[in-house]
Amino acid sequence: MANTVNQRVVTPEHLLFEAPRTKAFITGSEAASEAVRRANVDIAIAYPITPQSETMERIGNLFAEGYIRDYYRAEDEVGAFSAISGASRTGVRCMTASSGPGLMRGLETIASWPGHRLPLVFLIMCRVINAPLSIQPDNLELDYMLTSGNILLHGENQQDFFDYTLAGFAISEKCEVTLPVAVAVDGFFVTHARAWVEMPSAELKLPPRDCYSEAVPMIDNENPPVRIARDAPIQKSNFISYQMHAAWQQEIHAAHERSRKWVSRYINGLVEVVNPEAETLIVASGSAVSQSREALRQAEEMGKKVGLIKVKSLRPFPTAELRAACRHAKRIIVPEFNCPGWLNREVRATLYGHSEAKIADGPRVYGGITMPTELILEWLFKSE
Amino acid sequence: MALRTLQVSPGFMRFMPKEYQDLVEKGPFGRKLKLSDLGTYKELLEEHPMCEGCAMAFFIRLALTALPAPEHTVIVGTAGCGRLSLSQAAIPFVYGNYCDTNGVATGIKRGLALRFPDQPKDVVVIAGDGGLSDIGFSQVMHGWFRQEKFTTVMLDNEVYGNTGGQESGMTKRGEVVKMAPIGKQFEKIDMIGLAKTAGVAYIARLTPTNPSRIISTIRKAVLIAREVGPTYVQAYTSCNIEYSIPPEKVLEDARQVEKERYGFLEIISDEAKAFLAAQDAAHRE
Amino acid sequence: MNGNEYRVKPGPEGLLPPAAACCGVVLSEKGQGLVEGALKSENDTLRVMARELLTRQNPTIFPGPLVLWAWREGVADKAASVLELAHEIPGVRIIPMPDYRPIYPKIDPEAVINPCHPNLTIWHNKIEVCVFIGVHCHFANITLKMIRAGTNCYTITLCHEAGHEDSMASLPFADANQVRALTETIRQLKREGLRPRYADTPGILLTAAQEALSQGLVWQPAPVAQ
Ligand SMILES: Cc1ncc(C[n+]2csc(CCOP(=O)(O)OP(=O)(O)O)c2C)c(N)n1
Ligand code: SF4
Repeated sequence: MANTVNQRVVTPEHLLFEAPRTKAFITGSEAASEAVRRANVDIAIAYPITPQSETMERIGNLFAEGYIRDYYRAEDEVGAFSAISGASRTGVRCMTASSGPGLMRGLETIASWPGHRLPLVFLIMCRVINAPLSIQPDNLELDYMLTSGNILLHGENQQDFFDYTLAGFAISEKCEVTLPVAVAVDGFFVTHARAWVEMPSAELKLPPRDCYSEAVPMIDNENPPVRIARDAPIQKSNFISYQMHAAWQQEIHAAHERSRKWVSRYINGLVEVVNPEAETLIVASGSAVSQSREALRQAEEMGKKVGLIKVKSLRPFPTAELRAACRHAKRIIVPEFNCPGWLNREVRATLYGHSEAKIADGPRVYGGITMPTELILEWLFKSE
Repeated sequence: MALRTLQVSPGFMRFMPKEYQDLVEKGPFGRKLKLSDLGTYKELLEEHPMCEGCAMAFFIRLALTALPAPEHTVIVGTAGCGRLSLSQAAIPFVYGNYCDTNGVATGIKRGLALRFPDQPKDVVVIAGDGGLSDIGFSQVMHGWFRQEKFTTVMLDNEVYGNTGGQESGMTKRGEVVKMAPIGKQFEKIDMIGLAKTAGVAYIARLTPTNPSRIISTIRKAVLIAREVGPTYVQAYTSCNIEYSIPPEKVLEDARQVEKERYGFLEIISDEAKAFLAAQDAAHRE
Repeated sequence: MNGNEYRVKPGPEGLLPPAAACCGVVLSEKGQGLVEGALKSENDTLRVMARELLTRQNPTIFPGPLVLWAWREGVADKAASVLELAHEIPGVRIIPMPDYRPIYPKIDPEAVINPCHPNLTIWHNKIEVCVFIGVHCHFANITLKMIRAGTNCYTITLCHEAGHEDSMASLPFADANQVRALTETIRQLKREGLRPRYADTPGILLTAAQEALSQGLVWQPAPVAQ
């Protein structure tokens, strides 16, 4: 175990909003690992997959430097995600990361984290799901995450990846939340490209996890009860067992609702709205937001007013915010980097009965294709 | 000290249920107990819903009795019959997914080592043959390769008991069970040999015929895992339901199987031997 | 949001009532409480709690592991404050929740409450007002939902953390001071002339199970009436 580097503990609020920041021109992988450097992480467990690997390699270096207290390369994703779940039960702060196929391999484990009430941070560097094999960016795996019970943030760029990762730990460990937080970005576009990222000093770090102030007891034999099947296997086939499982599931959804306050505080709102008065709106998340910003600028040059709603948090979903922002909309498009259009589905379900707007079924690219601004503009003004 | 978690707040004892009053006053925590003490104290596990006369239930009861420091022990289990009783024991029990025991145990062991560097915490996986030799195989092997310091106990009933009697990797070749309609087509997996190859510090194979041997084996396995490296105990715990063994014949069957193919076996690494010798010496002083 | 119209009333709420948090009920800040889902001052919340405890049938305190076990500093004092509270509620019972495992072979509702089977275990559903204290939030929330689904019990939570939307009255960040404030509020209501429902049977009642135990008898639960 490496010696821990001396860093000063500050509140999440200070680290995220108050501490002076300096700029660095870095990749998303670097931004994520710089966040982890300041996150007071106890254990990180890695398993390689492109485009995630570079981040977890860097985090391995943080272990060697003494910023993280334990680290290893696991046998596979199920092994990594299982071990993280064990570590989280003991009250230490932990994190892991994956991409498309790796995430799919570990999905049973990922979907069991919330029910086990495990605070942890899971970074997702989106990549297509096989088959056929490809390593290109495409965020189809987030569709599977939407019903997994994890809190799910979707960063637009390198700066978001840094900020959301730090925020993730703070949100995850709130007693009334006590849930895993997944922070996703689109692979390559964010992970491997450089951009300016503003960061507080590396001499600062988050406070350690306060594990006795969470929704469940720790598995450490130091807090009561001694007799605990925390993960209560439901052994009986009777109504009470069904009802207990139902109440347990409801509790996960309730915790999502309670997390709204903290997600909103730590990432500055669940949405960002540009040109709220516009009648033509783009709703997007992830790097589709960056492309949309550029399309919006080009539309403005053409003398057309377009609005943009950046969805930062997919779970909890910004239901009220989206309804409010789309009240006057006449036309909405939802540019996405995946084939089925999961964000489009979410937007339709949310706005049903709350907006008169026509919601276009696209535009979408996938398999690694980039999203040209022309495509967005074409979809924006298609009906005119 | 963890025993504080077993101190009833002043004034509340009279509202506590009987089993807790007993556990607090007559429990095994913080005491050095022997097999002959059974019946004089409140055991970690008493009532459970496993089948009547089940050898696995019997083995689990004794295995829990053997834990050297139950107040600092975590048990990790999974789907399978054993969890039915393990979840009732007065010891933290972790149940994740089917396959994940040894990954979860790795995380628990490492997490506890970080939080309590000066207090040894024992982690013991207790799971079925299917859970460890089939679906959880990779995590078992890699935990061994990584030399994770916890104990793995296989409850080897040579079948998937909990799901109704399907073939497992530990089923004997030729056995006709569910999903092996023409008999199992390959040999019982040699987990003992694999453990040896993987450098497991203490390996033992046994049947439930000899209670004091169960106790000494489990105790050694837990202590060696605490100090030296991974340990593995493979216990034949017949399933009387799936193999149609009448409850009163369970021990007879175990003796027979022990004689034919499941004899007591211990493989101890040099380092573990030295540790045991040092322990013995300290004991004699 | 749906606004704050959803009211968390005593049940039975039916087959599967929603989680109040999913119906727009938001947790209060420190210094405030929730009454039936609406934000109230701490004082108003305490007065509602006190009134319900004094007037409803079979008031019962359900202390959880975090007060039953004196595992760290401060617990003994908090436990003492719970006993002080109990002494001000005539006819109260104390039924512990010492752990969270799904108890086998079956629950004895006179001996324990357990989150895996709560509405079977709140004393044959004869408890019409209860207090949760020292229960980990996850298990409290599950239990509260099940109690509201199946019984008419008025649930009160003195939560050491952020509080509970699914209880009818909830106070967050409650330590021994808040428990003592509730005790004081009960005394105040009595001074104001409220006659407790069980004024004639002051003190803490033992359940039959506790009674038998205290006399050294081994008690068997009565068969559940069909
Ligand atoms: C991922 C997953 N696959 C399959 C199952 C179904 N399952 C539950 S218990 C079990 C068999 C248990 O057999 P074994 O591990 O040998 O334990 P035993 O019941 O014999 O003690 C299986 C296959 C499951 N719960 N989860
Ligand atoms: S099914 Fe077999 S192994 Fe499982 S409890 Fe019954 S007898 Fe024991």
